[in-house]
Amino acid sequence: MTGSTPLIRMEHVGKHFGTFKALNDINLEVTKGERIVVCGPSGSGKSTMIRCINRLEKHDEGRIFIGDIELTDKLKDLNAVRREVGMVFQSFNLFPHMTILKNLMLAQKLVRKTPKAEARDVAMHYLERVKIPEQADKYPIQMSGGQQQRVAIARALCMKPEVMLFDEPTSALDPEMINEVLEVMTDLAKDGMTMICVTHEMGFARSVADRVIFMDAGEIVEEGTPETFFSAPKSERTKLFLSQILSH
Amino acid sequence: MDVLSGWWDDFFWGSVVVAQVFLASLVLMVIFGLIGAAAKLSGSRIAQKIANGYTIVFRGTPEILVILLLYFGSAITLTAIAQLFNPEIKFLDVPPFWAGTIAIALIVGSYATETFRGAFLGVKPGSIEAAHALGMNTLQVFIYVRVPEMWRLALPAFGNHMLSLIKDTALISIIGLNETLFVAKQAMGATGEPFVMYITVGAIYLGFSTVITLSVMALEHFGSRHMRAET
Amino acid sequence: MSFDVSLILSALPKMLMGIGLTFQLLILSGVLGLMLAIVLMLMRISGKWYLSWPAQVYIYVFRGTPILVQIFIVYYGFPQLDFIRDSFLWPIFRDPFGCATVALTLNTGAYVSEILRGGVLGVDRGVLEAGEALGLNPRQRFTYLTTPIAARLALPAYGNDVISLLKSTALASTITLADMTGIARTLVAQTYAPYEIFISLAIVYMIITFLIQKLMARIERWLGRYTVRTS
Repeated sequence: MTGSTPLIRMEHVGKHFGTFKALNDINLEVTKGERIVVCGPSGSGKSTMIRCINRLEKHDEGRIFIGDIELTDKLKDLNAVRREVGMVFQSFNLFPHMTILKNLMLAQKLVRKTPKAEARDVAMHYLERVKIPEQADKYPIQMSGGQQQRVAIARALCMKPEVMLFDEPTSALDPEMINEVLEVMTDLAKDGMTMICVTHEMGFARSVADRVIFMDAGEIVEEGTPETFFSAPKSERTKLFLSQILSH
Repeated sequence: MDVLSGWWDDFFWGSVVVAQVFLASLVLMVIFGLIGAAAKLSGSRIAQKIANGYTIVFRGTPEILVILLLYFGSAITLTAIAQLFNPEIKFLDVPPFWAGTIAIALIVGSYATETFRGAFLGVKPGSIEAAHALGMNTLQVFIYVRVPEMWRLALPAFGNHMLSLIKDTALISIIGLNETLFVAKQAMGATGEPFVMYITVGAIYLGFSTVITLSVMALEHFGSRHMRAET
Repeated sequence: MSFDVSLILSALPKMLMGIGLTFQLLILSGVLGLMLAIVLMLMRISGKWYLSWPAQVYIYVFRGTPILVQIFIVYYGFPQLDFIRDSFLWPIFRDPFGCATVALTLNTGAYVSEILRGGVLGVDRGVLEAGEALGLNPRQRFTYLTTPIAARLALPAYGNDVISLLKSTALASTITLADMTGIARTLVAQTYAPYEIFISLAIVYMIITFLIQKLMARIERWLGRYTVRTS
């Protein structure tokens, strides 16, 4: 551990749901600008891990730090931490009763206390980045899934987060819409955004990730650069998973 | 509770009347509801129109008005008919028990019409097609596939209809049915203790409602046993 | 026995004199009942047993007993209690209009709180999580996400409850109020023409019901404009 403090640090993190152990002894450091892809079979704890990072789930063992701040129950201003951590969900979760523009402006106004005119400018800026500024006055239901997910990414970016978490962002999409979302994510990576992506898009992992992490049964089984991860996986579980996912 | 002594048996018999009205109107309500649903689902436009009229009228009119109309309307008609044969007769009525029972069954039956109709349409076409594909005939499909599934879908709303019926029995006291509310009115006059008397009536109805709610919960539990994971 | 049209023409204007009272009861207890319902619903979803428990008991009691019994408890029972006679609320309970309004408010509040709770529980958890992830605090999530979405979800059931409330206002006639139904009952007692008078009044109620439905559909379209796919 040299140089600056890592942006995210997880130390021996564990999490139970009843008797089910969802996370077991997770250790992870993410430095600024790093792009990490997390993969693994369903139920392996990938989503739980990133949901712990912005405390949508509470871990019950170990410690999690965002910058210098530790996530604990005593933390007074959790929302100050959360606005530094952007999150994109599998099912988009846009606010259905607000137009796209209002979706992008709401948290800016309420959490960042950004004046309305400025919030609008920021929103339009990011809508242009995800290439759908002309849809600003539509409601989410009037857009395709791919468009909705791009809006969801723009909504998170409007908060100017330090790090972006993606929880299977393309899993709920029709195949022909996956690429438009991955393109936006790739652009984001090129601009130096720190990212943790839970995804099964191995092409994306290969071309974008600095590090690939494989999880199974609540544990990090293996991690490495995409080159070594895909060409020379060490563990049997990783090999089995890769053979299943790459065979189709 | 001293003031209630001497009135216990009156309240008891009043409760029996409530239970009788409830059971009689329950049977009629199911019949009206099924006929209404069948008419709405039938191909006949006239039947549909009549059923629509039925639900609009009874869902849009205050319950008390229906009860008063049925009781006084039937009384005036009956009296007129009776006078044709015997001019001596001054007044002849349908007993309040039956006028009231039919009235609340008609009212709640109009709601049940929509419940039964919705439940019938709510059965997934997939399971019906599958049953036909297995070679079951229409009657078999109806008995073994449609009815059990309909029953499960209709039960929660049907429970509410039963609660409506039991509560609507109180309205029949207005036309002189000697159920608990009627007893309370007499007891109030005799003792000058309206508060205790009406609270007693409330407690009796709460008891009836509880029994109905618990029964429906038990039936729902039974009816949805295939929806639960093995434990 | 015949159907006397001229009687209807003379009776209708008299009954319509009571429409103001009907609407006063409807609007006053509708607004107060909605406020009560919001408080009860917030108590129920608070997650604190000492708030949710009393709310649950209240809802259970008021939904489990007939509205007519509740009206009689307030009108006949409350004036018997010294602490009510001595309190600043006495002018309300001394007046049948006040009693009817209180009873209707207490009753509709219990029903509507359950409708609102259904709406709140129907809000997609993922949407609330997205708000949480963006840093909205619980109060902001409730104000900007839960409330507008739940209002849209609860509206159809709420409309039905407003119609139930309209029908319940007719029971005010049982405690001497001269609303439309009260006037009709007096007219029937004078003319002994239940068919003409009660049926024409039923039509008036049906028209009001129809107008309430239209109004609700319009509000629903406005609140639900985001649920329509084509812009």
